[in-house]
Amino acid sequence: MSTVTEPVTTQLPPPRSEIGLVGWLRANLFSTWYNSALTVVVGALAAWALWYGLRWLFIDADFTVVSTLGGLLIIGQYNTDQACAGQNCFWRPQAALLLVTLLLGMSWGVAGEGLTRRIAIIVATVVALFAFLPYSLERMGWDVRLLLLANVPSLLLGWALARYTRLGTWRWVAILSVAAFLLTLVLLRGLPGVPGLQPVSVLYWGGLMLNLLLAVAGIVVSFPIGIALALGRRSRLPVVKLLCVVFIEVFRGVPLITLLFMSQVLVPLAFPENFPLNALLRAAIIITLFSAAYMAENIRGGLQALHPGQAEAARALGLPGWQTTLLISLPQAIRNVIPAIVGQFIALFKDTSLVYIIGMLDIVELSRKFATTYVENNMLPYLDDVQEVFIFLALVFWIFCFGMSHISGRIERHLGVGER
Amino acid sequence: MTTNGTTDPVEDIIVCRDVHKWYGNFHALRGVSTTVQKGEVVVIIGPSGSGKSTFIRTINRLEQHQRGDIIVDGIELTNDVRNIDAIRRDVGMVFQSFNLFPHLTVLRNITLAPTKVRHMPSHEAEGVAMELLERVGIPEQADKYPAQLSGGQQQRVAIARALAMQPNIMLFDEPTSALDPEMIKEVLEVMRELAESQMTILAVSHELGFAREVADRIVMFDEGQIVEDLPPDEFFNNPRHERVKHFLSQIL
Repeated sequence: MSTVTEPVTTQLPPPRSEIGLVGWLRANLFSTWYNSALTVVVGALAAWALWYGLRWLFIDADFTVVSTLGGLLIIGQYNTDQACAGQNCFWRPQAALLLVTLLLGMSWGVAGEGLTRRIAIIVATVVALFAFLPYSLERMGWDVRLLLLANVPSLLLGWALARYTRLGTWRWVAILSVAAFLLTLVLLRGLPGVPGLQPVSVLYWGGLMLNLLLAVAGIVVSFPIGIALALGRRSRLPVVKLLCVVFIEVFRGVPLITLLFMSQVLVPLAFPENFPLNALLRAAIIITLFSAAYMAENIRGGLQALHPGQAEAARALGLPGWQTTLLISLPQAIRNVIPAIVGQFIALFKDTSLVYIIGMLDIVELSRKFATTYVENNMLPYLDDVQEVFIFLALVFWIFCFGMSHISGRIERHLGVGER
Repeated sequence: MTTNGTTDPVEDIIVCRDVHKWYGNFHALRGVSTTVQKGEVVVIIGPSGSGKSTFIRTINRLEQHQRGDIIVDGIELTNDVRNIDAIRRDVGMVFQSFNLFPHLTVLRNITLAPTKVRHMPSHEAEGVAMELLERVGIPEQADKYPAQLSGGQQQRVAIARALAMQPNIMLFDEPTSALDPEMIKEVLEVMRELAESQMTILAVSHELGFAREVADRIVMFDEGQIVEDLPPDEFFNNPRHERVKHFLSQIL
């Protein structure tokens, strides 16, 4: 008996019950009686939660507390009388923001179309729109609003610089980013004796500005340290290997909160006596090293997953060890663990709110503190009445974290062109 | 270097004397001695685990031998890193699993070593790479990534990549074993052309047809030793060793 059948010459459509909405519902939600029951129960719960959630959000919620806190959420007590006596210092973080939009504009100019352009335009637009918000912070004049609006021309200036001058390369954007970050720190900290730049103690730095400063510094510095630690841990030199293992295991084995407590004592030990090391710097160092330890393990995982033939092929071509690592192993290892690396960046950003441990007012602690103050001073009857501010905080954190995820997804897809 | 009777650095391009290699307690190479002359094509066969891959990997120091001497192109293989790098620049290697760099384009795979190791200007290296891609028959694939190529094409790129360093010796470690049957031919074709161009070739391969046609000598390994070393005609028709007959009867 032959098993060869007549060839089917025309393609038949799939059975009706398998396609379309009905087919999907049947396959996924109502395939068996218990699946159907589960679908009904979960559906009902979801509808109930949605009904109450949305009703609260659109009818009962009162977000005036967010606008009351306004600028405080963004820069903390930076522009208060204790911090910046007899002056309006709000222009300084704003100038730093102008640098950010300038660099975003340059990135847009270098990258051309696509995601970079979208991010640049969205950020500049949202920042500029803040100029029209009803702030309740004192000393908010037209100058502040004009500086916010200036972010749009700043973006366009950056774009033009990248397009029409020799600065239009990623190398220049990177160099200028580092310069801008350092300039931001000088701007915020101030210079003694320079008019208009009177020093502001870092203890008054706060709000979202503090979270972002810590996160940016942490991400940028912990990444190379993490790479170095990962390579060190795989080194054949026993001393280097031991040092890296000890470092990684110590920083991974102790909770960040504990490390931040200890930073008051531990970090100064690593520096000469009387070294001007403020609380913020100590926290930044601890957060960075903590993140670097995790980063090292992520990258080591990526290196471990590489086929040994990759390094062999490079060595067989006569590439020396360091070039093999730099050109062959690391690019592939990092690409393979981008999700883990970005996860670490996101964790670091969220962890920045732990600096409340050393008495700094980041956006979360600031909200909590002011919300309870309102209640204690009988300005509001219950803490319940300020819960909107925490919803707002969640939204802020979510936007930043989701943004990072989204960008990493784009990068992954971009780099996946030659995926094995 | 002067000629000392046994080693002529011009003619004997590879000299191995009593080479031993252990993996832990396992004695993988047990006193291998052989000489390869410039322009010779040597095909190495043998059962799996016989040490044939280990042997050719010692020649560019991907494996370190623990006893005996290996002299390649007049340079003795020692722990001196400069010697090793000098030899690796002179010895091209092609692997069973291709080992192309997946994050680089085909062209960049080929130009990487010439630009980084030989400091060749990149436009010049690209010129050389395109010539080599012509030679292996796939110039149109230059801007693709390795994953977008078939196995046979990838292996031909790997050959071009090794040739870009202008080596005097080419090592092939089972170059066709990971390929589908219809792709083996295109790789062997490139190797045959290479053999005809007077390249010194050491190839571990089970392609006996190729060996019979192209090889000057066929060397058979068994249990870490060379058990036979004969020109193809004699090897197939008149092997001296029982083990060779047995092996041939199993794979023919």
